[in-house]
Amino acid sequence: METLHYLSLGFGVALQPENLMFALMGCFIGTLIGALPGLGPANGVAILIPLAFTLGLKPETALIMLTAVYAGAMYGGRISSILLNIPGDEPAMMTCLDGYPMARQGKAAEALAISAIASFMGSLIATIGLILLAPLLARFALTFGPAEYFALFVLAFATLGGITGKNPMKTLMAAAIGLIIATVGIDLSTGTQRYTFGVLELYEGVDFIIAIVGLFAVSELLFFIEEKAGAGREMIKVNPLKLKWREIASIFPTTVRGGVLGFIAGVLPGAGASLGSFISYTLEKKILGKKGYFGEGDPRGVAAPEAGNNGASSGALVPMLTLGVPGSGTTAVLLAMLVSLNITPGPLMFTQNADLVWGVIAALLVGNFMLLLLNIPLVGVFVKILSVPPMYLLPIVTMVAVVGIYSISHSTFDLYFMIAFGVGGYILRKLEIPLVPVILGLLLGPEMEKNLRHAMQISDGDWSILWSSGLSIGLWAVAIIGLLLPVVVGPILRRRMQAAKAKVG
Amino acid sequence: MSKFNDRVFGLVMLVIAVAYYYGATQFPVPFGGSEAVGPETFPKLLAVILAICSLYMIVKPDPDNHWPVAKTFVELGIAVVVLIAYALLLEPLGFILSTMLAVGTLCWRMGARPKKAYLTGLISGAVVFVLFTYGLELPLPLGLLEMN
Repeated sequence: METLHYLSLGFGVALQPENLMFALMGCFIGTLIGALPGLGPANGVAILIPLAFTLGLKPETALIMLTAVYAGAMYGGRISSILLNIPGDEPAMMTCLDGYPMARQGKAAEALAISAIASFMGSLIATIGLILLAPLLARFALTFGPAEYFALFVLAFATLGGITGKNPMKTLMAAAIGLIIATVGIDLSTGTQRYTFGVLELYEGVDFIIAIVGLFAVSELLFFIEEKAGAGREMIKVNPLKLKWREIASIFPTTVRGGVLGFIAGVLPGAGASLGSFISYTLEKKILGKKGYFGEGDPRGVAAPEAGNNGASSGALVPMLTLGVPGSGTTAVLLAMLVSLNITPGPLMFTQNADLVWGVIAALLVGNFMLLLLNIPLVGVFVKILSVPPMYLLPIVTMVAVVGIYSISHSTFDLYFMIAFGVGGYILRKLEIPLVPVILGLLLGPEMEKNLRHAMQISDGDWSILWSSGLSIGLWAVAIIGLLLPVVVGPILRRRMQAAKAKVG
Repeated sequence: MSKFNDRVFGLVMLVIAVAYYYGATQFPVPFGGSEAVGPETFPKLLAVILAICSLYMIVKPDPDNHWPVAKTFVELGIAVVVLIAYALLLEPLGFILSTMLAVGTLCWRMGARPKKAYLTGLISGAVVFVLFTYGLELPLPLGLLEMN
């Protein structure tokens, strides 16, 4: 009952005209961002943060807009999977398997419509899951002390590489690099200058928004230049839509299964949207067995991974909103937004900023309907923008990133910093060191240190407090499993995903 | 396949880890005496983790990704230089002109025809300028185009 009360409060926030307008805008931009190959959701949300700032939006409006972008990007990823056989983002990879064959058979419009409906169902199911689960988890998280929080942060880093991650040591290294950058500046509790080298601009530390935009946007530009992918690829034409209700009804069970599985994959640490869409696809293939013709343009093969990855993306918001610990790159960027709006993420947010949290949740529901409405009739518009070759698009995107950063502080020093982060990001990506842990380290560093300090003050300098309660031992155990599991299971899963992709490509 | 990259990077990071640890030992003792966890504890912890990871990378490196050939390297260099020049010229030249130059050069180097590239730069610069200055009321520098 309490949940319903809060939810109606949330709708009150989400349905304000201003918020509705920004949600619609976010949905539109998000779909575009997702559709453009090479401009992933994390990247897109990162570029928009400075803009949300300079617009002076209210926290809830800013967050509603960015979550709409996030949800939209998950919708958009499928467009380039289906029409170009290039996934717009990683989780959309599985959609290529049946989506592209369908498009080649002249059923591109049907594939796009089915995937939009599946995305809608996946998001809807997962958002309901979020509404039910998040308050419970938040209440449970209130029992966490500083020692548990410290362990939780370690867990977040350990599982961030995901089960499909390649080298857990590199994930750990990336996290350490991020945390190290976060220590630059004046130490908040003692006032000691750390690693500032007397440079005034470093006293306040490194602004993570600059770091995020540099790491994502600028390094992306460099990658495109290296791959000489400026001209883009040829696209399949979209035919007029002929979809019968019976066909929609036939994919309904698939979308429900996909949505539920995706949600679970999204909530669990270390699983994420890629795994969500992969599991949904494989399960669907198992269930239907010989009745399906997967890999040759089965509509259910389009519906399952789309429901799965949209389910997972809403599911990933659960740990981000309740614990303040994001499980994916994009939720990490959303968290960056919260932190820079001076909102302390974590379980207290549900009581202290109830209107914000529930406003965002309600906006997810509203945005989902908007996205469905946007995506079926307007698909032609998105397709047209998709045909703009990257050689024009990426420079413009980079320019927007530059303007965003410049308009926060009107200082060109920040721009040099951003470029430096871009070059650094390029090198890290070349060495296959993931960027998301770096960002998470930058974000969580101060909180992590604060919790360590509190824990040590309570125990009067005894380190064993960090693993003295049952809960913290459990968290440490999951963290260790999270680091070890990729070494054992990772190669098998990765090989299967590769094999599935190779069959089509 | 060589495994050079990871080794070199591991070595660089190891040096950074050591320097970072040394830096942490040099912090002045905070006012009011030292505590169990001072400003130096967390950095020291991080330095150790970074050092372990670096050693692992040196001992067990992954195979190299292919690095771009020299010509592509030049292109990457140009892109970085263009971005730095963009930041440098943003205020003196103004937003529209510097954007035309920066976006234009980037488009051109990525394969667009020069004329079309700089036109793209000019139009996108002008649109964003108008949008920011009049739509969002966030003035961007006009630079040379400023009329007295």
